[in-house]
Amino acid sequence: MPFDQALRFASIWLASTSFIGLALGADLPEWLAALTGTALIVALLLNRGGKAVERLTTVTSISNTGWNLLAIIGFLGFWVDMLWVSGELLPAGIHFLMILMIIKLFNLKLRRDYLHLYAISLVTILASGSLTTDLWYLHIFLLYLLAGVWTLLLFQLTKDPEETGNLTMLVIRRPRLSASASHVTPQLFWLANGLALVTFGLTLVIFFTIPRVSTGFYQKSLGGNIRTSGFSETVNLGEIGPIKRDPSVVMRVELPDSSRHEVGRIYLRGVAFDQYDGKAWTNRLNDRRAVSEDATGMFVLRGSRSPAPPRLGETVRQNILLEPLDTPVLFAAPFIERVSGKFPSVQSDLTGSVYLPFPSSSRIEYSVLSRSNPVLPADRGSEPSLYPESFTRHFLQIPARSERIAVLAEEITHAQHTTYDKANAIQSFLTHNFQYSLDAPLTEQDQPLEEFLFTRKTGYCEHYATAMVMMLRTIGIPARLVTGFLATEWNEYGNYYVVRQQDAHAWVEVHLPHSGWITMDPTPPSIESVGSGFSAWHALGRMMDTIRLQWSRFFVQYSAADQLAVVRELKAGGTSARNKALDSMSALFTPFMAMFGGITEYTSKGTIQSLAELLILSLISLAVLLWLGIKRPWVKGMICQKTAHDEQLIVQLYERMISHLARKGISKPVATPPLEFVRLTRERWRDAGSAVGSITELYCRTRFGQISPTREELSLAEDHFRYLMALDKR
Amino acid sequence: MNPTEIIRAIQENIARVIKGKPQVIEMSLVALLARGHLLLEDVPGVGKTTLAHSLARSLDCTFKRIQFTSDLLPSDIVGVSIFNRQKQAFEFMPGPIFANVVLADEINRTTPKTQSSLLEAMSEAQISFDNKTYPLNQPFMVIATQNPAEYHGTFPLPESQLDRFLMRLRIGYPTQEEEKKVLDRPQSLHPAEELQPLLTAHDVLLLQEQVDHVLMEESITDYLLAIVHSTRQSDLLSLGVSTRGALALSRAAKALSLVRGRTYCLPDDIKELAPIVLSHRIMVARAQGMSQRSFEQAEQIIQDLVDSIPVPV
Repeated sequence: MPFDQALRFASIWLASTSFIGLALGADLPEWLAALTGTALIVALLLNRGGKAVERLTTVTSISNTGWNLLAIIGFLGFWVDMLWVSGELLPAGIHFLMILMIIKLFNLKLRRDYLHLYAISLVTILASGSLTTDLWYLHIFLLYLLAGVWTLLLFQLTKDPEETGNLTMLVIRRPRLSASASHVTPQLFWLANGLALVTFGLTLVIFFTIPRVSTGFYQKSLGGNIRTSGFSETVNLGEIGPIKRDPSVVMRVELPDSSRHEVGRIYLRGVAFDQYDGKAWTNRLNDRRAVSEDATGMFVLRGSRSPAPPRLGETVRQNILLEPLDTPVLFAAPFIERVSGKFPSVQSDLTGSVYLPFPSSSRIEYSVLSRSNPVLPADRGSEPSLYPESFTRHFLQIPARSERIAVLAEEITHAQHTTYDKANAIQSFLTHNFQYSLDAPLTEQDQPLEEFLFTRKTGYCEHYATAMVMMLRTIGIPARLVTGFLATEWNEYGNYYVVRQQDAHAWVEVHLPHSGWITMDPTPPSIESVGSGFSAWHALGRMMDTIRLQWSRFFVQYSAADQLAVVRELKAGGTSARNKALDSMSALFTPFMAMFGGITEYTSKGTIQSLAELLILSLISLAVLLWLGIKRPWVKGMICQKTAHDEQLIVQLYERMISHLARKGISKPVATPPLEFVRLTRERWRDAGSAVGSITELYCRTRFGQISPTREELSLAEDHFRYLMALDKR
Repeated sequence: MNPTEIIRAIQENIARVIKGKPQVIEMSLVALLARGHLLLEDVPGVGKTTLAHSLARSLDCTFKRIQFTSDLLPSDIVGVSIFNRQKQAFEFMPGPIFANVVLADEINRTTPKTQSSLLEAMSEAQISFDNKTYPLNQPFMVIATQNPAEYHGTFPLPESQLDRFLMRLRIGYPTQEEEKKVLDRPQSLHPAEELQPLLTAHDVLLLQEQVDHVLMEESITDYLLAIVHSTRQSDLLSLGVSTRGALALSRAAKALSLVRGRTYCLPDDIKELAPIVLSHRIMVARAQGMSQRSFEQAEQIIQDLVDSIPVPV
């Protein structure tokens, strides 16, 4: 492909990727997206050439004034859009950007126009980057980067040496190099792609090391929070049912200290409810208080009003990545002891639930240390005891005493003596005698609970749990309803639990005199979750979820703290590498190693200074690479290199000499023939005269006399060239 | 002796007479080798005749000089038929044109009729007289001179006839130093008389044949044509260069390459020759406000055109 055409193609490709990025990320109006898409396709077709296209050209040919007028109309439209239609700067700006892109696509005449198109594409890809946090952006960005490297390379290569300072010159001009040279050769192809790869690597380096200043200008909630139910102040019985079919992911839970085999499934406690009015549960103990923070930034829960005997249960550490929900509740395994995360404050209520001050609009990550509450041996033998009034008011409350329930509860538990055994009896009764079904429309009944217990005998978690709490309370055992999630879906690729809306669950907490609150679940464990199948499809789904999580974790949520962690790890790696190297290497390398050690030591300070130094270092290496890639003559040599033919070699050598002289300030005007140029060079740079003269002579003989040079002449010419390169002008 | 050395020897030979004008000598040799004719346009007394004379002497060729005046007749150039009483028949007495090098001095002083008889001979290399055709000597070269300073009583050559000359040259005054050398020379003898011939006429013909074998690479032909086309499109010119002009430039370039010891042309050759070979073949547009004949101006326009055309790399 000739350079001109390739440049055009690459430029349109660049614009296309940025447009696709924006179309996926932002809510473009359909007509605008369709218009821009069509414009891109038409531009591509125009680039390809052909008969049908020529017809198109005549259709689309509008005079310059016409295009300018369009741009002005677009600008007016932008104001109208911003003030009345969209009402915001960002969407209006994006729409205007699209219009500008369309106009530029059809006006790629001057080199300036190309630069404008690149600027528009850059702004577009930036806008799309700020509007999305999804994984697909990575692909678009990669494509964009590749296109960017290509365009810049081609832009540089099509640049005429005479053209410096004259950007308005036409791009399409007489090919300067010979016809074979101005084509995209395989070497150039791989060089460009390699450069793109290197650039991407450097981008990553910069991404991980550049200091974060803020969390982003445009950061805002996109697409709204996930609607949940069951975690508000009041929950109607049966409210959880409808969401039990929703597979959207709510959170991901990592258990850093334990493997899946030890855990099996895990309850993620949300809110506890104490008051039941026959139809709805309410949390009266919702008096939230700020949780104090300890020296390490951990929020430590204490002073809960529930009697707290010395806790002996196992601790479970969890790292939780919570999607934006419409509730401020922080979920975790019962019972939370410590919370840490990137939030300014945390509140807790008297039932041990933990809240943020307000629902988060973005994905948040926090880690929790929980301690489970085992049943103490003392409770296994103890009789039911009396509780203080404040306690019974909350946890022994019953709406309207139903004789049937009381009789049933008595019936089930009369054989048992201890509180724990009674609770267990009720749990197993419910588990074994009722059928789990999501198709239980317990609607519009006065007493849904009685309906469940005596008539229908099918229901789901909420019914089971409510029934158990009510039965326990009628026989004087304090109990409360807890809502949250039951995590069962294990992702073996990322080693975490995937928690979905459909894992929403309700269960029971029973208070035992010595052990305190313990978790009980009357719902039959046969809840077959959708994602637990082992088919390849589900495995693939889980793998994708892992990748998405890593993307979110390491790119979207990447923060200064992570940066420090990266630097620390680099340092650790550097130190260990140094130790290993020192062990194995001889003292020959000691000075070098000392320097290396100095660098790692310096980095280990972890200060902004070292980050800045890393950044500068990578920037310098990027600049060097670009300089090597674009300015060095061997790239040009590589492009021309078709065969290792001697004639071509000498022509290449001559061209290299010309560009070398141009860098030394002696540029060859287009209309200057070779011998005249030699005289010119001699006048201006006496020392170079003989070398230039002999190379030129050989070049003329080969190029115009068609006399192949001998090997000796070639090597002599190369020697001359080397001498020329080494020669310092004046 | 290889051609390069021969040519260098001739150049040195002539340079012993014509001081300080190596370019003019080189170009006159180019004209000779390209089978072309030379028009020297300069004021009297700068060595036009001496140049022609020296060239002829170095070549071991016959040399004739015709002083053009207003009353010169074609027969004074071509020759006349005279009745031979012994043979009882008209006999053709060849005129001065039957020589290898002919100097046509002040060619613009004679009438168009006489001029055209000479020019005809130049392009056809033969003379038709009384239904008979007489081939001219080979090699054949006309060196015409004209005086640009005088206009009264002259008949300027029309463009169509100027076209027959391969190149138009100026000799110009020598530098003071060179002029001193000229004055220091013993005056008793014409300087050209003491030159020894280095080449026979036959050798010249062989050299002329070698010119045909000089290689002109395709890109250089394109370059040459680009120059020719630019003269046709230039706003400054009312008449561009003809195909004969292009042909002349090509031949001259080949000859120059040979003179310079090459077997191939370079863009440099074309660029250097263009003002000399092309400037008398164009007509400067009247809008330029100068006389049509302005030699310097035409040369300048060609030079500017050439300076704007990219050289093949």
